[in-house]
Amino acid sequence: MSSLDGVVSELRWSAVRSSALSYLLHAVLAAAAWILAVVIAARFFPLEQAPRFEAIGVPIAFVAVAVAWIAVRPGSMKLMRTADVRLGLKERLSTAWERRGQDGPMDAVLRQDALEKAARTRLAAAYPVALRPGEVWLTLAVAVAAVGLVLLPNPMDQLLAQRRDDRAAQAQAAETVAAAQKKIAAASPAAQVDPQIQKILQDARARIASAPDPRAALQNITPAEQKLLQLSDPQTPARASTAQNLANNLSATNGGRAASQALNASPSQGARAIRDLASQLQNLSPQDRAQLAQALATAAQQAKDPEMAASLQQASSALASGDVSAAATSMDALAGQLDSLQQQESNDQQIAAAINGLEAARQQLASQADRDAAGAGASASPSAGAGGSGSAGSGAGGSGNGTGNGTGSGNGSGTGNGGGGSGGTGGQGSSGSGAGQGTGAQSTERVYVPAAPIPGQSENDPAPLAPGQDVPLTPYDQVIQAYEQVALDAADQSLIPGSERDLVRSYFSSLGEQGGGR
Amino acid sequence: MIAEEPRLDPGRVTELAQSLETELARLIVGQKALVRDTVITLIAGGHMLLEGVPGLGKTVLVRSLGQALKLTFARIQFTPDLMPADIVGTNIIREERGRREFQYQAGPLFANLVLADEVNRATPKTQSALLEAMQERTVTVGTETRALPVPFFVLATQNPIELEGTYPLPEAQLDRFFFKSLVPFPSEEELLEIARRTTGRATPQLKAVADDKAILAAQEVAREVPIAEHVLAYAGKLIMATHPQRTELETVRRYVRFGASPRGLQALVLAGKVRALLEGRYNVAFDDLVAVAHPALRHRVFLQFEAEADDVTADQLIDEVVEKTDKAKAAG
Repeated sequence: MSSLDGVVSELRWSAVRSSALSYLLHAVLAAAAWILAVVIAARFFPLEQAPRFEAIGVPIAFVAVAVAWIAVRPGSMKLMRTADVRLGLKERLSTAWERRGQDGPMDAVLRQDALEKAARTRLAAAYPVALRPGEVWLTLAVAVAAVGLVLLPNPMDQLLAQRRDDRAAQAQAAETVAAAQKKIAAASPAAQVDPQIQKILQDARARIASAPDPRAALQNITPAEQKLLQLSDPQTPARASTAQNLANNLSATNGGRAASQALNASPSQGARAIRDLASQLQNLSPQDRAQLAQALATAAQQAKDPEMAASLQQASSALASGDVSAAATSMDALAGQLDSLQQQESNDQQIAAAINGLEAARQQLASQADRDAAGAGASASPSAGAGGSGSAGSGAGGSGNGTGNGTGSGNGSGTGNGGGGSGGTGGQGSSGSGAGQGTGAQSTERVYVPAAPIPGQSENDPAPLAPGQDVPLTPYDQVIQAYEQVALDAADQSLIPGSERDLVRSYFSSLGEQGGGR
Repeated sequence: MIAEEPRLDPGRVTELAQSLETELARLIVGQKALVRDTVITLIAGGHMLLEGVPGLGKTVLVRSLGQALKLTFARIQFTPDLMPADIVGTNIIREERGRREFQYQAGPLFANLVLADEVNRATPKTQSALLEAMQERTVTVGTETRALPVPFFVLATQNPIELEGTYPLPEAQLDRFFFKSLVPFPSEEELLEIARRTTGRATPQLKAVADDKAILAAQEVAREVPIAEHVLAYAGKLIMATHPQRTELETVRRYVRFGASPRGLQALVLAGKVRALLEGRYNVAFDDLVAVAHPALRHRVFLQFEAEADDVTADQLIDEVVEKTDKAKAAG
């Protein structure tokens, strides 16, 4: 050994070698303990980031142990003292090291003596490379426990998967609503897009996205739809019917045939044609005027909209009395009402598109909610799965999960034909008793039946759903007839453009064939 | 014989001590610890109190030491009527050429090695004179102070039995003894060996292995033996642990009245240095302190009456102090 510094270097290296293995074991123990703790916690709490926590904890454990290793590494004096004690050097090294800078009478011989004794000793023996069996066994036990728990199935995994699916379904539903927004915006000129519709959709989208689960997200759709329905003008069907009757009556007249065709095309074209007709009344023959006055009078009698009926009646009376100017004024007013009808129909189309978007979102959320319920329903009691909802439009219907039979009550909305008129809103569904013998496949076919306000309740204040209350749902095959009826009524009442009516009819026919096949 | 040198090599001190021990062993049967303590005290420049029953070779030890070191030797038998002047000397009137004058007559203290036999039988006044000489290494008679010869080594003895009519040394005076060693009764084998050696035709004659100058040089060298801070700290912890107010040891709190004084620490460290040299080392080790703890501290730890009632000795307490004082912890 050439010098005390050499002794210190050798001791330091020995200490590093010895402690490195020990600290490595400590690091492994810490990492395994961390993983074990996370795995155990993940079995009691749904930790979505459990693997991430585990992965983060391992390097942290190693870094912490490494920092501790560096922080507590022995200094030179400590090395010498330890070597003195463990190698039986009788404090020679530590004393010589402490006095290495001094030149006392005995220092030289002390150093020489210390170095001689150190040279005869295996310094590495002061820091043997060895592990404590207890620590090794503890580390092994913790590691085995951690690996075992990682490999064994975790009951929380199913819940986590469900949560992921829930979030995906909610995101998809929100995206569907957003798509409906874009579609409405793209289909209509910017000036004609109702900001209230966009606002309702935007709110619904945000609530769906932020809801804790699909079931809660579903509860936001019905209020949104109710708000949308409130934006619809109840007089629109009456005006549309009046416009159609006017077109029918004008088609038989010489002067009004062109206006009839324009009315059949659209209310706005009809309005322009009516204005043209009003400006050309002077040029019509007396017979044509009389014929036109008669047609207008007939249309006025058939009109369900009071304003349009009044305009038609005034125009008819003015023409009959030969007051062309007054007739033109009344027809201009009628044209304005047709323009208003056009605007309202456009608005209704936007509302319909918005509701369609919400319904599509509802389907997605309901499907996921059903899957969640099916997952949880495996252990549910039959009575718990026998909920049902009723539909006023088609009587009472019930649906349920599981294998139990159940009865359900629900609110439904229906549109009924009142003679030749239209409108009417469905009432409250009676206590619907329905066979709740649902299956998983059927449950996924649930569709939404918009609920009407209960009697005495303001339409502007939709009934809030109680916490945990499900949105009334009815199996598809039980409500499709109601939908078909509503759609066909709307088609008959010119709510749907003429070019699209056949398409609507063929669509429901095809559904009927499929249902029959089913 | 080791001749006088301006400065002794540490190795030569070891040789001196070892040859001294070897030479004493020719006459002293057994009693290795006693001989070792004596050599340590001598090289440390202190004085020693021997406690043992009569007839165990205390006088032989001191006389042999004088022979082996070529030093003057005096023995003082302490008795109740021994006066201070009997040991320090006195002025006597002498007539020379018709002229009377006081002349100082040196007492037996003026020797390199002094055996104060049964020191506890003298009156405190005489004891005090001895102990003052031990501390100051001078004696004052009248108005004149005279230096005692160097080296000056007092080996006092006291009998642990027959205490009636004795004057036990007070604590302050006990503290002036560097070591207090117990002289154990020899084993049967040693006893037979004593008989063989001392009842034959010739008693072994010792040869001088060193002189006074060598002893003085060795004393200088011993003081230069380095002691590391953590070893010194351990010595300090040992001393502190003997104090009932400052120790964590319940037995010390219960049985000790006063702990070791700073002189105890000095004795501990200095004795450790000498022992290191005797062991052929040039630094003080923990083991050195532990080895000298009993002779250095047993007369400096003053026990409560309760200890005597419970038959607890100072040596037992020192054992516990040594055992419970952690070396690594003491070193920080």
